[in-house]
Amino acid sequence: MSEEIEKPNYRTRKSRNTVFSNLGNEHMSDDSPGTDDSDEDDNKQDQYVNEPVYKKPKTKSSSKSTSKNDQTEVTAHKLAEKDEDFLLEGNKDVPADFVPDVVSEVFKNNDFSYLKLRPDHETRPLWISPGDGRIILESFSPLAEQAQDFLVTIAEPVSRPSHIHEYRITAYSLYAAVSVGLETDDIISVLDRLSKIPVASSIINFIKSATISYGKVKLVIKHNKYFVESTQADILQMLLRDPIIGKLRIDTTNPVAGETPVATTIEKEAKAKNIDPNDVSAVFSSVVGEKTLLEEENDDDIDAVHSFEIANDSVEIVKKRCQEIDYPVLEEYDFRNDHRNPDLNIDLKPSTQIRPYQEKSLSKMFGNGRARSGIIVLPCGAGKTLVGITAACTIKKSVVVLCTSSVSVMQWRQQFLQWCTLQPENCAVFTSDNKEMFQGGSGLVVSTYSMVANTRNRSYDSQKVMDFLTGREWGFILLDEVHVVPAAMFRRVVSHIAAHAKLGLTATLVREDDKISDLNFLIGPKLYEANWMELSQKGHIANVQCAEVWCPMTAEFYHEYLRENARKRMLLYIMNPTKFQACQFLIQYHEKRGDKIIVFSDNVYALQEYALKLGKPFIYGSTPQQERMNILQNFQYNDKINTIFLSKVGDTSIDLPEATCLIQISSHYGSRRQEAQRLGRILRAKRRNDEGFNAFFYSLVSKDTQEMYYSTKRQAFLVDQGYAFKVITHLHGMENLSNLAYSTARERRELLQEVLLKNEEVAGIELGEDSENTVGNGVNRRLKRAGFVGSSKAVKGEGSLAGLAGGEDMAYMEYSSNKNKDLRDHHPLIRRMYYKNVKK
Amino acid sequence: MSTNNLFKATVLEYLEGLSQNVQSRLYESPAACLAIYRILPQLAKFLIMSMVFNHEDVLLRDLNKWVKEQGQFEFDEAIKTMSSLHILKEISKNPVQVNLNPIFKNSFRNSLTGGEVHDSFGIPVDDDGTITTESLDKYAADKWETILHFMVGTPGMKSPSETVLSLLLHSGLMLEEESDYELKITNEGFQFLLQEINVQIWSLLLQYLKMAESIQMDPVEVLNFIFMLGSLELGQSYSVKGLTETQKKLLKDMTDYGLIYQTTFNSLKFYPTRLAIILTSDSMTIRSASMAMNSVLKKAANYINYNDTAYNKNNTANTDADATNNLDKEDADAENNNGEEVDGNGSIVEGALIIETNFKLYSYSNSPLQIAILGLFVHLKTRFANMVAGQVTRESIRRALRNGITAEQIIAYLETHAHPQMVRLAENNLEKKLALDANCNETLEILPPTVVDQIKLWQLELDRITNYDGYLYSTFDTTEEYQQLVTYANDIGVLIWKSDRKKVFFIENEGNSQVVEYAKRLLSRKDSI
Repeated sequence: MSEEIEKPNYRTRKSRNTVFSNLGNEHMSDDSPGTDDSDEDDNKQDQYVNEPVYKKPKTKSSSKSTSKNDQTEVTAHKLAEKDEDFLLEGNKDVPADFVPDVVSEVFKNNDFSYLKLRPDHETRPLWISPGDGRIILESFSPLAEQAQDFLVTIAEPVSRPSHIHEYRITAYSLYAAVSVGLETDDIISVLDRLSKIPVASSIINFIKSATISYGKVKLVIKHNKYFVESTQADILQMLLRDPIIGKLRIDTTNPVAGETPVATTIEKEAKAKNIDPNDVSAVFSSVVGEKTLLEEENDDDIDAVHSFEIANDSVEIVKKRCQEIDYPVLEEYDFRNDHRNPDLNIDLKPSTQIRPYQEKSLSKMFGNGRARSGIIVLPCGAGKTLVGITAACTIKKSVVVLCTSSVSVMQWRQQFLQWCTLQPENCAVFTSDNKEMFQGGSGLVVSTYSMVANTRNRSYDSQKVMDFLTGREWGFILLDEVHVVPAAMFRRVVSHIAAHAKLGLTATLVREDDKISDLNFLIGPKLYEANWMELSQKGHIANVQCAEVWCPMTAEFYHEYLRENARKRMLLYIMNPTKFQACQFLIQYHEKRGDKIIVFSDNVYALQEYALKLGKPFIYGSTPQQERMNILQNFQYNDKINTIFLSKVGDTSIDLPEATCLIQISSHYGSRRQEAQRLGRILRAKRRNDEGFNAFFYSLVSKDTQEMYYSTKRQAFLVDQGYAFKVITHLHGMENLSNLAYSTARERRELLQEVLLKNEEVAGIELGEDSENTVGNGVNRRLKRAGFVGSSKAVKGEGSLAGLAGGEDMAYMEYSSNKNKDLRDHHPLIRRMYYKNVKK
Repeated sequence: MSTNNLFKATVLEYLEGLSQNVQSRLYESPAACLAIYRILPQLAKFLIMSMVFNHEDVLLRDLNKWVKEQGQFEFDEAIKTMSSLHILKEISKNPVQVNLNPIFKNSFRNSLTGGEVHDSFGIPVDDDGTITTESLDKYAADKWETILHFMVGTPGMKSPSETVLSLLLHSGLMLEEESDYELKITNEGFQFLLQEINVQIWSLLLQYLKMAESIQMDPVEVLNFIFMLGSLELGQSYSVKGLTETQKKLLKDMTDYGLIYQTTFNSLKFYPTRLAIILTSDSMTIRSASMAMNSVLKKAANYINYNDTAYNKNNTANTDADATNNLDKEDADAENNNGEEVDGNGSIVEGALIIETNFKLYSYSNSPLQIAILGLFVHLKTRFANMVAGQVTRESIRRALRNGITAEQIIAYLETHAHPQMVRLAENNLEKKLALDANCNETLEILPPTVVDQIKLWQLELDRITNYDGYLYSTFDTTEEYQQLVTYANDIGVLIWKSDRKKVFFIENEGNSQVVEYAKRLLSRKDSI
């Protein structure tokens, strides 16, 4: 049922890369920093017997099925197979005269010292491992910046700390690269120029095999007609010779076009590539620059494009056939030339500032003046919303926005109104208690995944809205927090709502199961992934000091811990008195410094115990909406309320820029995503640009318990982003705290008795509003409803906040008249993307 | 160069510890005198030179006039060293007059003027020229590397000869595992690995000398031989004629260490290798063992890598700054080589490493030995022509710790080999901190503090067991008896552990007599009833 709950152990990458068996598990343990201990691994799994076993639903892969989604799955499987093939030939080109030296054996198959260094290797920034496609980049090299731009396009970032970054080329990443317009030869030649060592033949073969057929054929809707497009005439020829596709072609210009498939050709001079091959940077910019950067507004760079038209009703057949012959079509939306769907009157306000990395991510999406579908990955607090809004403003067609909770529905709406010139009457929300739709030809609808994907009985009102949503053609669908939504949901959403372009937004494209690869094909490839450390250095997100505080278990608690079962153990390590003391101490310490503190606990029992004992307000799933708003507003504006306790409900949707310190006392097993999301709560700290400002993130763990193990797992993602978790074994001055709780043995014993008497159920984790738990399976309707009821009120609060901050600016009124008529009035970014090719 | 001084100090210390009789016999050899002279401190050299051709005794006061006030300490040290070596003799007191030891003076004079040196500088013999310096270097590197690799425990390495093994054991650099009779590197051994090559050779030779004494070899003959080796010329062959029986035996052992090469076992001539030449050498052209090996190996194989060709093409403007090339040049100035500095090209010294906050480690190294040393505490994964990548894991550190390497040693190793980029980042961070708060007493953190902490924590993890000496009480007849004793022991605060179920308990040493006393009383009471 609930396949979306993370499995407690990590096998994400392992499962895909079984080929590495000869390297052993150590290679895959990349995910976890320092404390990798495989023996421990096994123990932990044993202890998990009590946990419900979540089974991965069987993926259909039969070729019979005709739906679009199944096709994408087929592609996914093919790519995975390619990954495996390539890795088998890792070490094939060892020269015959290579003599392994004494230490070679240590590396087993990973000794690549036979690849001789290039004479000028010092000026080149990277190594490519022939065995597994790993790319190691010196971030201090003069060429590093360009190389990073390039690598993030063609490879998955694995880790990006301060000096040496790692990427990995996978079939998925190459698929993404191809879909943003890179050619096989470009990829290989740039890699070759950046690499200190010759690119091994295994890598070249892999790149070729993964890119040669993918991304070559595009399906484009222009003037409401479907065109099959390709830059390579021979591929198109081949398609036309195909017995199925050939017949479906509509001849528009030439009635005897059997030999000349080029119906409409936009022929342009491809840029001359006779640049000195030794000049790395020149070659680089010539190859990468024109593809990935949109600075030049000239049309000369566009390669020759050949296309033929097909009838609207044969689209499905063509797509299916292309899939079968291993040339899956990429869908692009030529929104400028779509005259069937009415334009939406929407533009960014001139006051809106787009940051460079946001622009860069968008340029990947609108690379050739059309909209590509895909996922953009930006850290929390780095302005994902604005990226989505800008994309919507670029496409200028009707938009559907889907997010995870009703609170964020209202936040999205409010943000839309704040940043762009959309009229409030064109901006509808669809939640359980708000089912109004916009009038007129085009508009914006914000809703939640659960509302749209719900298959159960609907009220009359919502059925009407659903009919409205499914009955029309949408220009653009924006999918927020894509990582939390199970693939099955997406399939429903995507099949229900017909949209030309899809954009997924997320901060952490990691899951503890292997659902991420599904996303690649349901939405599209990952278009861009920002570098956390870089954004932090440039002040776009706050600087965070992370610490893991080790709280020794008291003897009595540890004694019981060793005897109890897994669930009870959890309760014991969360309620560890030392942990409570540490929490108390940290709260006092940071309140004195003037910090605003959020304490997170997944466990509701602990949340209440801690908060009540310390006399702090707390919010969890069943807190009534009015009370929630009250607490949150007090936290924001009241000097007396500097600490709040939040359960899992606070992980994502609650936006509190005041918070500067975060303490985590209990968490969801080893979820890397949750850790990153929680860190995100303090990344947008208001004071982040103060000189020397640091936000604080504490994770309290009970020493010598399972929690230590999970903690390491959880941190893996952030550690790979370059965050360093400092281990604190002793908090200085804690024992001198005047009113330290549980300082006597009697108090501790009492607490222990209380904990032991608790039902096992208490140890569980709250089933929150997080769609991860509730969406799609109808669990916990009550909680969900509570959330929805509250959300409309949340709007009021947020709205007034923005008003106070001057968000609803006056400028809007001044510019609102005839804004679409004069090109100069457009936001410069939109102008560049939207009007780039208009003049021709 | 501090490490250079270090090895000199240890050698001098050893010599000082010899009896005066032995010293005097040693000074009969001009070669030994010259060698000792070379390892003495600068000021001592100067003082010796001032007296060696002087027949008169000298007033210590007069000697003292040579030095300024701030050099007084140095002067005293020099005098002290020379006195304990009995090179300097006090002739009369009040006023103090001194002179050189006549034996030393005579021999040293001979060595300088080429007088009667009695073949103490070796007897060169004609050579057919088949043995080149390159082949000698390769031979030496092979031998020495075998020893070092064996210590590191590189799999698949052939084991060095018996004499070397017993020396390693004897000196405590390696330890015989009780369970499987395998030799394991010790804490000292790891320290040894990190030292420079001539320090390594000397410390092995000093161990050899100690061992030699215990088997009644004459230390003077051994020392004479070693000092003679130091004065020989590379590439020249020397005759075994004139060597004593002990020295002939030595010859064989030195072959095992790679100091000497002989074409056949019974050959009448021998060749000193570079390892022998650097014994008393003053100019240090070789920085660390692995680097030396590397350069030697490269040269021996006449290995032309791209690097060299590139440099040759681009003229020689920057050649001497490149680490590997630097070592290829025999007369490379030691100054060019004094640390992990970046040259104008941004090239970095072999062995520089980067460790990230995610515990991944990248080392710019292709030297098998360097990699093997890293392998002692890093989980190595991938190797490229000039770089190896790995990860520091809990397991890899624990393995090292179990082998007796300490966390501090690992951290120190990482710190001294840190890549200039890491140093730069650390400096920038410190600057920023100081700019914010000029009074903060932060220190330069070259390694990510989290990594340092974690390595230390992994070490702490291993010593959580506390030992108590004490007594275990067991086999009680009744629970009551057990209870009474336990309660008593607990009351007087000596109880450490008890198990009510098994009726056993354990108490501290100190309380034992009291508990025994109490038990006796209990028993007697029971008997009386």
